[in-house]
Amino acid sequence: MSVIATYQLTKVFPGGVRAVDGVDFEVNAGEIFGFLGPNGAGKTTTSKMVNTLIQPTSGTALISGFDIRKDPGEVRSRIGYVGQDVGVDEYATGRENLTLYGRFYRLGGKTIKQRVNELFELVDLIGYEDKMVSTYSGGMRKRLDIAMGLIHQPDVIFLDEPTVGLDPQTRVHVWDYIRDLAKVMGVTIFLTTHYMEEADHLADRIAIIDRGKIMAIGTPAELKQSISGDAVTLSPGAGKANESQDFISRAEAALSGQAFVIRTQVMDGGLAVYVEHGESAVPEIMRLLSSHGIEVGTISVSRPSLDDVFLKYTGRTIRAEEGTPTTYAEVQRKRSRRQ
Amino acid sequence: MYALADIWYQSVRHLRTQLRMPVWIFVNLFQPMVWLVLFTQVFKSLSDMPGLGGVSYLTFLAPGIVVMTVLFGSAWAGMGLLRDIDMGILSKMLATPVSRVSIILSRVFASMVVLVVQALIILLVAVIMGVDIAAGIPGVLLIIVLVSLLGLGFAAFSNGLAITLKRMEPLIGIINFVALPTVFMSSTMMAPDLLPGWLDTVRHFNPVDYAVVGVRGLVLTGYVWSDLWRSLTVLSGWAALGALFGLLMFRRKGE
Repeated sequence: MSVIATYQLTKVFPGGVRAVDGVDFEVNAGEIFGFLGPNGAGKTTTSKMVNTLIQPTSGTALISGFDIRKDPGEVRSRIGYVGQDVGVDEYATGRENLTLYGRFYRLGGKTIKQRVNELFELVDLIGYEDKMVSTYSGGMRKRLDIAMGLIHQPDVIFLDEPTVGLDPQTRVHVWDYIRDLAKVMGVTIFLTTHYMEEADHLADRIAIIDRGKIMAIGTPAELKQSISGDAVTLSPGAGKANESQDFISRAEAALSGQAFVIRTQVMDGGLAVYVEHGESAVPEIMRLLSSHGIEVGTISVSRPSLDDVFLKYTGRTIRAEEGTPTTYAEVQRKRSRRQ
Repeated sequence: MYALADIWYQSVRHLRTQLRMPVWIFVNLFQPMVWLVLFTQVFKSLSDMPGLGGVSYLTFLAPGIVVMTVLFGSAWAGMGLLRDIDMGILSKMLATPVSRVSIILSRVFASMVVLVVQALIILLVAVIMGVDIAAGIPGVLLIIVLVSLLGLGFAAFSNGLAITLKRMEPLIGIINFVALPTVFMSSTMMAPDLLPGWLDTVRHFNPVDYAVVGVRGLVLTGYVWSDLWRSLTVLSGWAALGALFGLLMFRRKGE
């Protein structure tokens, strides 16, 4: 049975921005569902609608069979929401934070006490129960934040960008907790993220969302398989971005008819050429291009990754650090600076 | 029933947060006394003035200080809600089944508790300094009712503004703009007979004045029921208006 099912869920903000545009998806019980897209793609807006925090303009969603528009109360008692901000009260202790949420979810005093102890163990905060949250580190706060969304044993927990603002080491720790959570508690997890790595690492299935629309849904493996072969990416090189249009069309014309090329994909500032074996194709590609008098600035070979999947469905790359869509040329410039 | 429980648990949270700040306790206990001592010293020579009904300015002013303390305290009540908005605490709470109205009402209630304690301290200090409360102990109870209604209205307005403005700077601006002028546009500092005509008219549209008139009557003369009923009615209306505003703003902007 699906824990979440959305039906043409749409949100139009005042001013006419269609932040979420007729989104349909289902999340099955017990799975980690990754909602992947750049900032401004509509991830958080979707999550907030399903969490009853904002009203959809049209369409609706069912949580464990309850309609978010008709039964918001029933929905709220079955979900845990862990927002992008760490919504814990730092002037209270961890136990006080958790206990208050137990009350909000109408649990009895005895149950709360027991759940609080279990949860502190689950998120590895034993010994910090009665310390003020203001003394917690960022990672500890996030773990308490997650525990607060779990106190009532919800059907599904929403993690909105759970590792934004955490350092890489803490991020990996939080990932471990999230995976344990799914395993130990059997809770369904709806994870929104703009980190490819995070989605790849945690999610059983991924939906790629861009400009308010779902572009693809599948397991990470399925999505990667939809990209056949290795990607050889070519660009005219740094400082020649103004020639890229010409470069792309000439390179595409030279290569697209070739037997060893599976397909080509135009992107901002360059061309991705998908081939069976990337490394052995490079000399052939170079030879063909130079015979057409085309000068290549940069060339790189990569195995299919979620980045390629994202590129295939949206025509753009996603920049890992900022999560903002960017042109291929920019990515290349950034890479070359790093080397 | 859950709404009442929610108000209680959240009020405990708000009060606990404040009690954990030693500076906050110190300031809030001593500020009323500072008002009481400073005002009576600055305006000492006013005691000889006619129109105060032959009582000392301390006795005349003490009710005004009680009302002023409640007004200033409750006007700032919305600041705590702003922190909850900024920290993401509010949206996290709204995703739970917690009663929506309890979020505002618990803040208003917690403010009330603090203000009642402050009002009692001022009255106690005033009595020690020689003020005689004509209406006696039951009168003190009525004083608490009057200032609670006044404070409820202002605290609810302040929370309603906080959720509407969502930012600290405009809220601070509005509070500063409103708080002191409403004191001066009432008979808090000066007997009504001594106010210029236009102020004497304006004060009748000011809830602060109804609180001052009610409390001062209880302290100076005892139970003047005609004044008391008017004050209670107007202040109840004020409290209801504030609560309505706060809850409506919360419903509108809380999405």
